[in-house]
Amino acid sequence: MKNNNSQKNRKIRNDIILAVAIIFIAAAGLLLFVLNREEGSMVSVKIDGKQTASYPLAENTEVPIITGENNEHINILTIKDGKASISEADCPDKICVETRPVSFVGETVVCLPHKLVIEITNENADGGLDAAV
Amino acid sequence: MKKAVSVFLTVILALSQLFALTGCEKNPEEKTKFNNYYFDYFDTATTVSGYASSQEEFDAVCEDVKALLSEYHRLFDIYNRYKDVNNLAIINDLDNGKHTKVTVDKKIIDMLTFAKEMYEKTNGNVNVAMGSVLSIWHNYRNDGLDNPAEAELPPMELLKEAAKHTDINDLIIDSENNTVFLADPKMTLDVGAVAKGYAVEQVAKALEEKGVTGYLLNVGGNVKTIGLANGEKWKAGIENPDRDDKDKPFIEYVKVAGESIVTSGSYQRFYIVNGENYHHIIDPVTLMPGTKYRSVSVITNDSGMGDALSTALFLMSYEDGQKLVESTENVEAMWVMNDGEQLYSAGFEAYTFEYVPQK
Repeated sequence: MKNNNSQKNRKIRNDIILAVAIIFIAAAGLLLFVLNREEGSMVSVKIDGKQTASYPLAENTEVPIITGENNEHINILTIKDGKASISEADCPDKICVETRPVSFVGETVVCLPHKLVIEITNENADGGLDAAV
Repeated sequence: MKKAVSVFLTVILALSQLFALTGCEKNPEEKTKFNNYYFDYFDTATTVSGYASSQEEFDAVCEDVKALLSEYHRLFDIYNRYKDVNNLAIINDLDNGKHTKVTVDKKIIDMLTFAKEMYEKTNGNVNVAMGSVLSIWHNYRNDGLDNPAEAELPPMELLKEAAKHTDINDLIIDSENNTVFLADPKMTLDVGAVAKGYAVEQVAKALEEKGVTGYLLNVGGNVKTIGLANGEKWKAGIENPDRDDKDKPFIEYVKVAGESIVTSGSYQRFYIVNGENYHHIIDPVTLMPGTKYRSVSVITNDSGMGDALSTALFLMSYEDGQKLVESTENVEAMWVMNDGEQLYSAGFEAYTFEYVPQK
């Protein structure tokens, strides 16, 4: 009888350990989910349609983007105070440099001669606008 | 106790399922939005957006779009020639100082016929026979952009001389024999106000015929939607023409499904002479850039019509423009005046919606 009882107790203890483990895993998953969610907008860099890099919009930075078949062209991506822009470029028309800094989901800066698109993305937003006209 | 634990586990399991559904897991029936970018057509950037079940499905549609845009781009190119293509550059041929009758693809005949209709409809404000005048502006603008310190305006005498060779009736289209001939030897075609929108419309029609739906084509701000965006309307922001207003990228938001939206604005393609902005939409009467508005946006079913009408409305008085919009079916417009005031045609506001851009 005593033996039986301790077996039962051990069973219950195992169940509790299992439950705690599952709760722990679930909590960890939830934490990851929430952390991801709060990551916010990213600045996605696409060259000739292919994404080559991505930077958080919340962190001020200045990065060179090299384009061209022989890496002969450069645009400087500047992220400052939650806005992204092309601050310098060696393209002929400089339209990208003159484009207003972007910060909202779906907004883009395009450098046509270098086939470069900077786009604000956010996986947790509802997709933003589909087009700017 | 055992029962309590198993109930507890069931609840946890159910909760985690719920998370899986609301979180990253996608319903296999659900379509994903894909984007693709092209840079080689109509001197502007092209975005293709579409909802598809797989990357392969989306890529297949993009290949069709690319092939068609490439074909239209070559046919409607007024400056460059391509091997084995009788395009507008060949019709424009001034190298020999004499135009010849050129046999062309039916697509050119149809586009030029449409352009002539637009000339009539817009009371001459859209005139593809204005190549002689527009090429002068084109050259001065490019020189000014290359060398801003020495940017100049074209002399008025030069523009006036060129304007003598802009009679649309000298554009002779023979749709039976598929030939085009420019009867005035000094006349040239510039299809900048119609060709892009016309091409976008034809590409959209070709996709629709194949049963494609849920796509948006954006060729340099000339937007055409095909069907709904995954069950909802497409959302577009109309750009703020005031480039210095850095905190307000858009001045209006519209929702469409199947329609086209096109904006003509003084902020789009311009150069600066002595601190003044000189843009690319040239008034056929004054031979100077239009000065009545900052921008005009048009919503229509037909993207070619939208392209032509946004240009025409940009050059016409507000009263004449209103009449033109009211007398044309399925056309709505928004005018942004020079003081920033926004004026709407009667049905435009049915397309607008409140939107807060997301950071």
